[in-house]
Amino acid sequence: MISLKNLPFKNLKGYSGRTAALIFFSALMSVAIFGGSLIIAGVRQGLNTVEARLGADIMVTPESAKNDFDAQTVLLQAEPGYFYMEKSKVDEIAKVDGVDLISPQVFMASTKAGCCSARLQMIAYDPATDFTIQPWIADTYTNGDMGLMDVVVGSDVTVYKDRTISFYDNDCHIVGQFDPTGSTLDSCVYMNFDTVKKLIDSSFVKGMNLYSEYDPDDVVSAVMVRVKPGADIEEVAANIQKQVSGVTTATSRNMVSGIGESLSRVAGTVGILIAAFGLVGILMTVLVFVMMINERKGEFEALKAVGADRKLMSGIVAKEAVMVNLAGGIIGIALSGMILIMFRSLFETLLGAGFVIPGPGVIALMAAAALLAVMVSAAVSSFAAVRRIGGKSL
Amino acid sequence: MILKATELKKDFPRSGKSSNFFTAVQPVDLTVSSGEMTVITGKSGSGKSTLLNMLSGMLQPTSGKVTLDETDIYSLDEKTRALLRNEKTGLIPQGNTALLSLSVLENVLLPFVLYHKEEPPAARAKELLDKVGIAELMNEKPGELSGGEFRRMAVARALLMNPGILFADEPTAGLDSENTEAVLSLLRKAADSGAAVLLVTHEDDAAKYADRILTMDGGRLFDTGR
Repeated sequence: MISLKNLPFKNLKGYSGRTAALIFFSALMSVAIFGGSLIIAGVRQGLNTVEARLGADIMVTPESAKNDFDAQTVLLQAEPGYFYMEKSKVDEIAKVDGVDLISPQVFMASTKAGCCSARLQMIAYDPATDFTIQPWIADTYTNGDMGLMDVVVGSDVTVYKDRTISFYDNDCHIVGQFDPTGSTLDSCVYMNFDTVKKLIDSSFVKGMNLYSEYDPDDVVSAVMVRVKPGADIEEVAANIQKQVSGVTTATSRNMVSGIGESLSRVAGTVGILIAAFGLVGILMTVLVFVMMINERKGEFEALKAVGADRKLMSGIVAKEAVMVNLAGGIIGIALSGMILIMFRSLFETLLGAGFVIPGPGVIALMAAAALLAVMVSAAVSSFAAVRRIGGKSL
Repeated sequence: MILKATELKKDFPRSGKSSNFFTAVQPVDLTVSSGEMTVITGKSGSGKSTLLNMLSGMLQPTSGKVTLDETDIYSLDEKTRALLRNEKTGLIPQGNTALLSLSVLENVLLPFVLYHKEEPPAARAKELLDKVGIAELMNEKPGELSGGEFRRMAVARALLMNPGILFADEPTAGLDSENTEAVLSLLRKAADSGAAVLLVTHEDDAAKYADRILTMDGGRLFDTGR
């Protein structure tokens, strides 16, 4: 039965077309605000995670690997690959002025052949000198120590129940999995030197390694460098390239700059979209509400006739606005969140940047902000509508 | 219940010139008593509806006062005045006014639900709809009603709270003679049941139902002597 409490709902239900239009506009607003800020936060978080995960100021790779390694794009669209240089380069790099810490890494790629679980990038670190990978492992799992054939995998690597992954017919035990970074690091498998050497040996035996002339004990793929406090990273990188033959350098700034540029581009575009959609949403909601007051003139006359004052009528209109905008806001938030999660990869490709879904706290905050915005729109709409009612005599 | 207007006057500012006013109702004295049906006739624009709106507590007068059983209704704040209107008066406004998303029955119950949390008096509303002859339409939406049915619904709605005074603004405008007679009979019955009825109309049909007929012309109220 009718009551003052359910009157706004009955009014909204009675005008289903208008209600649907209002829900659509407020959903549009919340999609723009929530979805937009989720994209910006997701890309920013991806960038921060990648930068932190790299952990080194400079990455030194063999000059001959130019075709396999592009510092600008490696974090976003690299195919699994590997390349080697003599281990002696490590000592040469260590002697360059400004270098504080160095740690070699060995890369390896698995294949799609039956001997491997999947085609993945393998990154092996030297437990004695590593300062880039072990801290992350330690943050995520126990003390960071990994034994022979133990691996930690990126977030995109499928982990089966038995927690084993096979490379060149060697079963490795997955001891952990990293959180996503939104970069190619999510498809990497991390292991120590002993494990990768065993895998390289197996790839040699199977004739599946391009560099069979190398001695696995005498090669490295990259050297991660941390410069001394106060040293100029670019200058140290230039000096390494000058003083050590056959190597090339990439600074972490270079490596993430591609993402950084994408981020600014995305942030700008998304900002404009948020503003445009938000404005259209507010304008349309206000317009529909004001038009509604004219259209419903007979209804307000009836309410006045039976003893409603302006406050009571304003309350009904405000409740209608809150209900409809809240519904639209929640639908918009759910829809944009679902689309972003489901089509994350597509967005990464479209945006040209990695994307990490922020934590529940950040998401809740953004959802609250989006809801607040649609509520502000509800307040503005009902205020405009109520002014129209107030303008008439009572 | 006695409704009394003393020196009641209404000026409206002319658009664009705030210092220039148009006087819609010249100072009027009027008393309406229980059981009496008063009809105010006059041409369109003569000030009838403005006077009725002031008498019913819907339009603040420029000067003068309206008392309802000794209560100066415009000395009350808007909320209290609205509550008083809800409890003691019934109004049949001009035109077809209703909440279109509600059923006919729910529209009739509207005066009750505004200020009561209890279960609305559906039995009384049905009884009133039966009296006005549209009980079979109680579950329809107002949009489905004809003009005559709409006005009957408005009459039932105005009577729900057992008002001491019933105001009707052009209740028969646009109705055929059969519906006009039906609506006027309902208002007469309300007066016979003890309510004070004040009706404004520019049509002559109401005369035979009235106890008293007044005429408005150029914002002035004239007693026709009947």
